[in-house]
Amino acid sequence: MLKLRIIPILTFNGFALVKTKQFSNPRMVGNPVQAARVYNARKVDELVFLDIFASKNQREINLQLIRNVINECFMPVAIGGGISTLDDINDLLKIGADKVVIKSKAIFDKEFVQTAVRFFGSQCISISLDAYKIEEGYRIKSDSIKEPLTLEKFIEDMEEVDVGEYIVNSVDHDGMMNGFDLPLLEKISFMTNKPIVAVGGAGHPSHFSKLFQSTQIEAAGAASIYHFTQFTPMDVKQQLKKEKLPVRLP
Amino acid sequence: MIAIIDYGMGNLASVKKALDYLDLKNAITNNQQEIEAASAIILPGVGSFQQGMNNLHERELVEVLNHEVKIKKKPFWGICLGMQLIFSLGTEPHECNGLGWIKGKVVKIKNNGLRIPHMGWNTINPKIQSAFDEATIGDYYFIHSYHVLPEENDVIAATVSYQENLVASVLKENIFATQFHPEKSQDLGLSLLKKFFNAC
Repeated sequence: MLKLRIIPILTFNGFALVKTKQFSNPRMVGNPVQAARVYNARKVDELVFLDIFASKNQREINLQLIRNVINECFMPVAIGGGISTLDDINDLLKIGADKVVIKSKAIFDKEFVQTAVRFFGSQCISISLDAYKIEEGYRIKSDSIKEPLTLEKFIEDMEEVDVGEYIVNSVDHDGMMNGFDLPLLEKISFMTNKPIVAVGGAGHPSHFSKLFQSTQIEAAGAASIYHFTQFTPMDVKQQLKKEKLPVRLP
Repeated sequence: MIAIIDYGMGNLASVKKALDYLDLKNAITNNQQEIEAASAIILPGVGSFQQGMNNLHERELVEVLNHEVKIKKKPFWGICLGMQLIFSLGTEPHECNGLGWIKGKVVKIKNNGLRIPHMGWNTINPKIQSAFDEATIGDYYFIHSYHVLPEENDVIAATVSYQENLVASVLKENIFATQFHPEKSQDLGLSLLKKFFNAC
């Protein structure tokens, strides 16, 4: 049976790991290579590493640092931050990334995502999206376009080009540690049959059980809970196991 | 020396890292002499079947692989796309001949309301007992949208359950292959690599 994936997410500002609240107020939380080493020793299912300011600051991702992060890992690693060319993707895959995470570029350049999927295969193209709620529904956060896309339109575009998976961040729940954005996640889980990683709001192991019991989602990413509480990914899995949900306990 | 075949299809660095960690001498290569001199061959790879075969042909690797694996019977391990390519026929994105070392074809996983790709950790069920032991039975990392359908069941070394039973591994004489990624499967994957190459 396929196991639920519990994925720590490391967000990076170019120098150190940082953690935001509702996408603001980044707080420094440590060194990326050290964090990767700890998560490898803890046998986590997978790791996602994102340079969250690369696009905004029009900075290229730091390949040497990424290489050092990947070198610590004997599990799958997804890397994102400012990816906008096929060369960017190739560079990351070459140093051992299993998946690349595309966000900003995907919002205004579907053709680029399509080319990337054709070139590298859909299994290594993960699409990250930052969704927030307004009265009329969910919108995709973007610094680059004036009229934000609806969640529906964005997913429709990405389905058309056959991406490998979605990493769905709830802007409203980011860093709040009060539980996942279940209405958003439930909605999106019916819009696609690709794997979805739910992100944003986890603060306690019970939040993960609730997510998996009430949606069709099979993977959960989190950062704050692992930085700011005593809970580890293993604690989360122990809780899930108690509730008879399928997890891998290495 | 173990030759990790470089044909422009995906994550070779991770395979090398795993072998280095196990102190197994290896090289990423597409050099014919080096492949001939190798004691064993790994064909890794992710991406589409047709692109994979095109790349093997373009780099003139098909003949040397056939010779080393089929005639000289060198120990061989295909990983993920590298497992699919040893079958006779692929369908991704169009029908395309593979290396044909094992009879059968590669088709898309049926969409029965399941998420595709089949992505994540899943438990293997050994069918050929000698291929696995206590230290190598458990959860491995899978990421694939296509799966193999061998014509003969006796080559199936392990299966994995994703609604239906998919082939997770095949074994035929010197040819071993896994749909999962041992190099991404932490201790279990490292143990399986060690078991296989220690026996070579």
